[in-house]
This record gives sequence, structure tokens and C-alpha cells, in this order.
Amino acid sequence: MNALLYLSWTSARNRFVSAFRRVQSPRYAAALLVGGVYIWSLLFRTPNRGAAASFLLGRPSEALITLLMVLTLMGSWVFGADVTALAFTQAEVSMLFAAPLTRRQLVGLKLFRAQIAVLINALIWVFVLRRGGPYLPSPLRALSLWIMFSTLNLHRLGAALVQSAWRQHGGVGVRKNRWSIAIFGAIGVLILSGLAINRDRLIHAGGIGEFFVNLSNTLLESPAAVGLWPFHLIVAPTFAKTIPGWERAILPAMLMLLIHTWWVLRTDAAFEDAAIEASAERARRIEAIRSRRAWGMPSKPRKASSSLRLGTVGPPAVAIVWKNMLCLRRTVQLRLFVGPLAMALAFGAAVSSAGGDTASFIATSSVTFAGILLIFGSRLVRNDLRHDMLHLPLLKALPVSSGDIVLAEVASSALPMAFVQIVLVMIAYVAIVLSSHSPLDSRLRDAILVASPFAALALNGALITIQNGMAVLFPAWMRLGTGVSTGVEALGQNVLAMVAHFATLGLSLLPPMLVGWTVALALHQPRPTTIAVATIVGAVVLAIETFGAIRFLGRALGRVEPLQS
Amino acid sequence: MISATELTKLYGDFTAVRGVSFHAAPGEILGLVGPNGAGKTTTLRCLAGIISPTSGTIAVAGHDMRDDAIAAKRALAFIPDEPHLFDYLSVEEHLRFIARLYGVHDVETRLPAMLDELELSERRRSLPGELSRGMRQKLAIACGLLHDPSALLLDEPLTGLDPAGIRRMRETIVARAERGTAVILSSHLLNLVEELCTKLFVLRQGECVAFGTMDEIIATHPDLAGLSLEDVFLSLTSEGTEGAGA
Repeated sequence: MNALLYLSWTSARNRFVSAFRRVQSPRYAAALLVGGVYIWSLLFRTPNRGAAASFLLGRPSEALITLLMVLTLMGSWVFGADVTALAFTQAEVSMLFAAPLTRRQLVGLKLFRAQIAVLINALIWVFVLRRGGPYLPSPLRALSLWIMFSTLNLHRLGAALVQSAWRQHGGVGVRKNRWSIAIFGAIGVLILSGLAINRDRLIHAGGIGEFFVNLSNTLLESPAAVGLWPFHLIVAPTFAKTIPGWERAILPAMLMLLIHTWWVLRTDAAFEDAAIEASAERARRIEAIRSRRAWGMPSKPRKASSSLRLGTVGPPAVAIVWKNMLCLRRTVQLRLFVGPLAMALAFGAAVSSAGGDTASFIATSSVTFAGILLIFGSRLVRNDLRHDMLHLPLLKALPVSSGDIVLAEVASSALPMAFVQIVLVMIAYVAIVLSSHSPLDSRLRDAILVASPFAALALNGALITIQNGMAVLFPAWMRLGTGVSTGVEALGQNVLAMVAHFATLGLSLLPPMLVGWTVALALHQPRPTTIAVATIVGAVVLAIETFGAIRFLGRALGRVEPLQS
Repeated sequence: MISATELTKLYGDFTAVRGVSFHAAPGEILGLVGPNGAGKTTTLRCLAGIISPTSGTIAVAGHDMRDDAIAAKRALAFIPDEPHLFDYLSVEEHLRFIARLYGVHDVETRLPAMLDELELSERRRSLPGELSRGMRQKLAIACGLLHDPSALLLDEPLTGLDPAGIRRMRETIVARAERGTAVILSSHLLNLVEELCTKLFVLRQGECVAFGTMDEIIATHPDLAGLSLEDVFLSLTSEGTEGAGA
């Protein structure tokens, strides 16, 4: 068997076998089941799919999608091709580039590998559009989508190869690929001419909807339609509404696919340098995506321009809090808080719009922001065991008891979150005092101000402890560090972890609420005093519960071994 | 100073280490050698308190690792083959972190000397991601040596070091031993083991096949007399060889 085919086949087989073995474990099987149900409900059970599909498969959509495709592909030529189209894995770079293989064989491998993504995309869209009215049967739609995605992928790869040749060979590379350049130059001129001819129609459109209608009409007329014609051939089968129409469209589309295949395989460009660069770029992008998804934990910390002071004497566990504070300072990204802040500001504006009072707007927004941080804060800040479990051998070699390690790790996330929430409540308090339309009487707001630090500390401590507890007790179920696992079972794991988180939180809140309620009934004091005292007592009960949980987790951490995590 | 008695470690049905006993006294350098998968790293990890032995006891500086783990860990340093560092602490912050954990009160005096000794002074504000593999290894070594441990566990300590670094590391190990530190050194570099170690502990498939000085090992295996350490090692660790401790 050809070595590259062998590589692809054995890699795919081993991946499947390892996934199958993993699913034999009950936890992965459960996660796969939950993830599958979630995807099924999301993709295939959405009502009114027919209306959406009819819209997606309409003629204006066809014209606009053709234009978008052209713009994307032309962007590769004008602004530079996406270098990651040439990316190989690090193992492929070190083994295949040094092997006696032709460039054409390597490009062939790239094309073959890309078919996995192409097929998955095609299948997803077939399912999404399967109830698209009286249109194509699913197998025909699948074939159409496969041709469209394959051609796009070939074009992307071809553009990257051609530009790689330009960079490595300068004028020689340009001459070698003069036909590609001439064809795309002509297409660009035709589309721009069409837009220029119809510019008045576009500029004077009476709204965004009319603009798009005019734009799609412009694209369906000469000369833009002539320029778009080759690309329209590629998308036409996907948008065909009848089987005879599809039969007419499929052959030209296949011809375009063959032309692209011939073009890419014929482009014997020296792409190795660009491919190595692209491989590093792809690795960096994947890391960046993971960092964005792993909230609060960019993969690469900022420079250590300044530090925090750490005394040389005192409890050793404080050093762990200090270490994590440095982590927070160097890695937390303020943009993560922009979304919650914007939501809080919007809510504040909506609530205070009737009064038109700036102070009440600030108060509402601050309290809302504090609430959002309370609920989602444990996902925003993760500089605790969810990160340090990756350093378990190092942690376990330290002369600090496991219980103190857990306590320090929980404090590292809970304290900053509680601090921010307390400050927000204080801002809200001051704003309410200054507001002309204060919704709370002075004694009640004083009571809330007094009780909120206790509540914030206890609640954040409990929330972060639950998250850390799952990292210690079920490390395979949690996302640890900055890495993000993908796949259906990973999705299912996330859903299950979230359910477990809220179920545990609900259970742990029962005793404090019960005790707080009992205290409130027993006090016979004015309402503000009752609220403050009951909240503080409830917070203390929750803190005691959390402390007990931390001690339990300490013992569990003592039993966890690196190989098990 | 470091002693293991009937140490056994199981991973499920697999026995990584089976009933081994050895000790390293103050000033001794014990070479822990064996082929890949012999159980060297598992043994070192048990000694460092990173994993718990399934059975047997470990004592470091007189402290039992099971009953008094904190005191035992405070007395030792474990320098793994792959430097485990925190991505977001600079070189100097790593040392300050370790100083606080191990109660090093004179860190302000020791820190510059340690940075100089390991040629890290100019990189004191660098994060691990900005360091080369060798520099990261030096930082891991500095973290291990800062608190002046009385027991030192080294797992392939020369990996990634440049020739000057290798020489300095060899000198450091000898100097520490001369000052009374008990050292356990795991390495595949048999010339290093031969040069530095006062005793050998040879593992094969989790079992001890030889323990003692070279003379003691030869005394229990007379057929090995006159062979180089490499030949002794290959002979002891090849299949079918009967294990024996000196």
C-alpha cells in the first residue's frame, strides 16, 4: 500500500479504535449519549426548519452566497492566501518533508485529509436543509454540497500554493501562474464593473433589506453575472429546486471540480517553507482559539514586567495564593468581562429609562454585573486547581498539606471574584444614595450593604469549591488547563458537568437557607435587620459547609496520583 | 537519610516496583540505574511523595513519608527530568515561591548567589516560555537546591544542559554530597553514574537486581569482576539474570 494512504488509513483506524475503546467506559458512553442528544435537539429538532431552508435556498441567497464565495476567494489573492491551508502537523513536517516524496504527493495527502472536513460539513448541511420544502432528495444535496466544499477547499489550497511560489520565486513564480492571475483579475473587473454600473441603485436603497435585494439583482445581471458565472456553476447544484434542474447543474459543477483538481496538482510550487510557517501558524491559531474558549486563561502569559511582594515568613499556602494572583494578573483578559458588562449596562439602561436617572442606571448596572459575575464568575476566573491539576507532580512534592493546597487554590479564585462583586455593590449603594428615585429605603440598603460581603464571600467560595471538587474527584470530566477537548463526548461531558455543578450548588444552599429562614422567623426584628442577620447567618453556615468540603477534597487530593489525572 | 523498605507500587494489575529496599546515607550518592520501564521514575516519585507506595515505607531525614509527609518533603528536593515550571512565574518569582514554601528566611542572600551559580541572573525576570530547554532545566535545579535540602533526588538531571552546565551540575552534586546531602541520581549516562556515585541500585522490571558499592556488587556476582560498568549493567539487566542485593 502507498505509504501516505497507509498513514491516512492507520491514523483513521487507530483514532476510531481508541474512540471506540473510550466509549466502552461508562463515563464516556454517558457523555457521548448526552452530547448526541444535545446535538440532535439542537440541529434536528428545531421547529420551522422548512421556512429557514426555503430562505437559505432562495435565489437571492444563491446570488449572495456566490458573491461571498468570490469575495472570500478573491481576498486570498488580493490580501494573501490563508497560509494555514498548507499546514501539516509537526510530525508530518518532520517525517514527510524529509522523506523521498514529491510535492505532488504531499499535496495529494493534503487534499485527501481535507475530505474528512468536507464530508462532515456536507453531512451537517444536508441535515440542516433536509426539510427545505419540495427541493432535492438528501443524497443529491449531499453530492452537491460535497462538490461545492471540495472545490472551495481546492481553490484555497491552490491560492496558497501559487502565493507560496510567488514568495519563493518572485517573478518566475508570477509568470508560471500567469493564467490563474489573469482569470481572477478578469473576474474582479467584471464584478466591480457591475457594481459600478448599479451604484446608484445600491447607494439609494431605502434600507438594508432593499440594499440586499438590489445587490442580488446586480449580481444576477451582466457584467457581474458573467464574472460570477464560474462560481455560480459550483453552487448551482446545491440551490437546484428540481431534479431535472440539478441534473443540468451537476455536470458543470463536476467539471469545475476537475479543473480545480488539475490546477492544484499541476501547481508544482515549492511550498515547504510556507508549509512549515503555516504549520506553526495553525498551531498558534488553535492555541489562540483554545485560549479564548478557556476563559481567563490565555496560553501565553504577558511579560513579567512587575511583581507582587511575597514575604519570606508565614504560612506556606499563602505562596500558592500569591502564585495564582500573579497568574490572574498576567493572564486574565479584560475583554472577557466586556460581554457581561455590556449586558449589565443594557439592562441598567432598560430599567432606568423610565426615570432617566444616571445614578439609578449606574446602580442597576452595577448590581446586574455583580449578579452575572456571581453566576458565571467561576467560569471566568480559573486560576485554581482547574489549572494547577496539570502541575500535580509539582504540587504533590511541595511541603504543604493537601487540605491547605485546596484551600489556597479555592481562595485564589473566590477572593478576587468576591472582591469585585463587593466593590460593585458598594458602587450601587453610593449611586442609590445619590439617586433621586431610590427604590429602597435607607435602612434596607444599609442592611444589604452590610450583608453583601458575607454573602459574596460565602457564595463565591462555595461555587469555586464545587468546580475545584469536580477537578479533583472527576478530573477526566473537567476541562483542565487551557486545553479544550472536542467531540460529541466532550460536549456531553460539559453538559453533565454543568448539571452536576448546579445540582450540587442547589443541595449545598439548602442548609444555609433553612437556617437563615429559621433565624429570620425567630428574630421578630424590623425587616432590614432581619434580612441582614439572616443573610449573614446563612453565609456563615455556607462557609462552614464549604470549609468541610475543602477538607474532604484535601484528603481526596492526597489520594490522587499524577497518572490517574 | 533516605531509606525505602519493601517498597511496592502497583498500577492496577501491573507491578511497577516490587518489594525493593535501599538507603542512601548522608554524603552518599546512590546511582539508580535500570533499563527503560524498570521502575526508576516510579521509585523516585514514591520517594518524593508524589505518589503513594502500595506497600512498604519511606523515610527521609528520619521522617516517615506516610505519617509525616510535610516534614519529609521539607527535607528533600526532587528534580525531574522534564522541568515542571509555572508558566506565569518569572525565574526570580519561582525562587521566591519556593523560598516561602520551604521557609528559606535568608532568601535575599541566597537568591542572587543561586542565580549566579546557575547563570540565570540576566534572565531573572523572564518567564519559562522565554527560556531555552537548558535554562528551564537550570531553573528547576535552582528551585531544588535553594532550600539546601538534606536529601536530593535527581532524575536525568543533565538533560538539556550545555557542556559547561553539565560540568557545573556534576560539581554541584559532588559538593552537595560532601556537605552531607544524601543524593539519589537516576540516569542512563553510565559514565556519569560511574564518576559520581558511591553506591549503585540496579532495577529490572521493578525488582532490585543489585545494591551496594561496585565492590559489594562484584562480591555477590564474581562473574562480573573486571567488567566495565556498562557491561555490568547489561549483564545485570539482561533477561534471565538472577537478582541479588549486596
